[in-house]
Amino acid sequence: MGQTDERIAEMVVEVLEDDFELERERIVPEAHLFDDLELDSLDIVDLVVAMQVKFGVQIREDERIVEVRTVADLQRFILLLKRESEAT
Amino acid sequence: MRRVVISGVGAISGLGNDVAALVDGIAADRSAVRRMEGWEAYRGLRSLVGAPARLENEKDIPRKARRSMGRMGIFAVQASEQALAAAGIERAELGSTRVGCIIGSTMPGAEALCETFEIMLPTKDLSLLTAMKFFQCVSHTASMNVASYLGIKGCVMATSAACASAAQAIGTGYDLIRLGRQDVVLCGGAEELHPTVTASFDILFATSTSFNAAPDRTPRPFDRERDGLVCGEGCGIVVLEEYERAVRRGAPIYAELIGYDTAGSGEHVSQSNTDGIEGCMRAALAQAGLQPDDVDYVNAHGTATRDGDAAECAAIARVFGDRVPVSSLKGHMGHTLGASGALELIVCLAMMERGRVFATRNLENVADDCTGVQHVRESAARELRTIVKNCFAFGGINAVLVCRRL
Repeated sequence: MGQTDERIAEMVVEVLEDDFELERERIVPEAHLFDDLELDSLDIVDLVVAMQVKFGVQIREDERIVEVRTVADLQRFILLLKRESEAT
Repeated sequence: MRRVVISGVGAISGLGNDVAALVDGIAADRSAVRRMEGWEAYRGLRSLVGAPARLENEKDIPRKARRSMGRMGIFAVQASEQALAAAGIERAELGSTRVGCIIGSTMPGAEALCETFEIMLPTKDLSLLTAMKFFQCVSHTASMNVASYLGIKGCVMATSAACASAAQAIGTGYDLIRLGRQDVVLCGGAEELHPTVTASFDILFATSTSFNAAPDRTPRPFDRERDGLVCGEGCGIVVLEEYERAVRRGAPIYAELIGYDTAGSGEHVSQSNTDGIEGCMRAALAQAGLQPDDVDYVNAHGTATRDGDAAECAAIARVFGDRVPVSSLKGHMGHTLGASGALELIVCLAMMERGRVFATRNLENVADDCTGVQHVRESAARELRTIVKNCFAFGGINAVLVCRRL
């Protein structure tokens, strides 16, 4: 049985909290990764690696990552990747 | 030529995370050498001892600055901050292009380097490599991270000459200030203890292997029972400053740096060379305008290897005879490799300030091949005005610093 959508969304928040030492109250769905959470281009490289490890998905070569702007975008993107990988 | 003084010091070592802990530890004859947990898992690694430092308070460095730092980078930043605080230099002053930073090491960040290989090589897959691994494991990781974190905009450089790295960093900073290219340079060396580092010496039969069950009895510089070096880690930083500037702002002046030489022995990559060591000491003295009789103390490289100690003693005996006290600090803090020249120089400055010479720890019976010099067997009160600090490295690289108390 796969993880629930809520659990996956929560795990995304956990990565941001643990790996990037962000206070949990800042990690709201509408928070912009660059403008609000102050991540930069180097952090995004590491965020991709952290997501790949956490969810067992491939992101680095996926061009859709450039559309990800907010925490909610990231959560939706991971859910989509999980569904795609489960479908294949 | 302009004059150069040391106006600040900072240290992270196996004896503690500041200069006072380092100096007090040595004054109390403590050993930082421990049995290293987990090292027995490495087949063929015979030396299971090390002198680890404690990584602590690293979260005082904001994440965005810290993310590019491995263990060595964190040590270097912490020691640099201590040194600047001791010198009374504010962060705001560091943005001048007249302030530089030169920090060397033997290895780049060993932990990060190994992690990179562990991630990438078994699967030939880059997809799990983080952006930060590169910054944590490049050869200039210590100097680069210190300069970025502190906002240093002058000369930023990393010397890489194994165990002579810190001495070369200090010597290079000295030259830059003397020549008028820089006014202040943070100089020193950093190293992190890792099984791969000890292994590189172990396979050359250069490590201590007989004291795994009694770590504080090794290394044993100049002793009959010496059986090799023990790797340590940490970072030593000195603030070098142009003399007039330091005087003008009422800075503490630990000593004046009055001589430096670095030279290759031009022969074997690992065997110590008495002629090369002697030549380097004589050149440093000549540059300082001193005769051997003007020197009050020699801080030996003294790693406790069989050949190295004998070659160094022979060279010291040729230059100084048995008139000048000689000791090694490796028995207390192990061989901190790229950091050793700076950490041990900092202890020498404390000896000058306290008017005491510290003895070589674990020197119980002077070996027959280490005679002819005046070994310091017991720490004792002694006025030290001028000291010589020796550093010698694999690759036949020698470096010698000469300091005078003002």
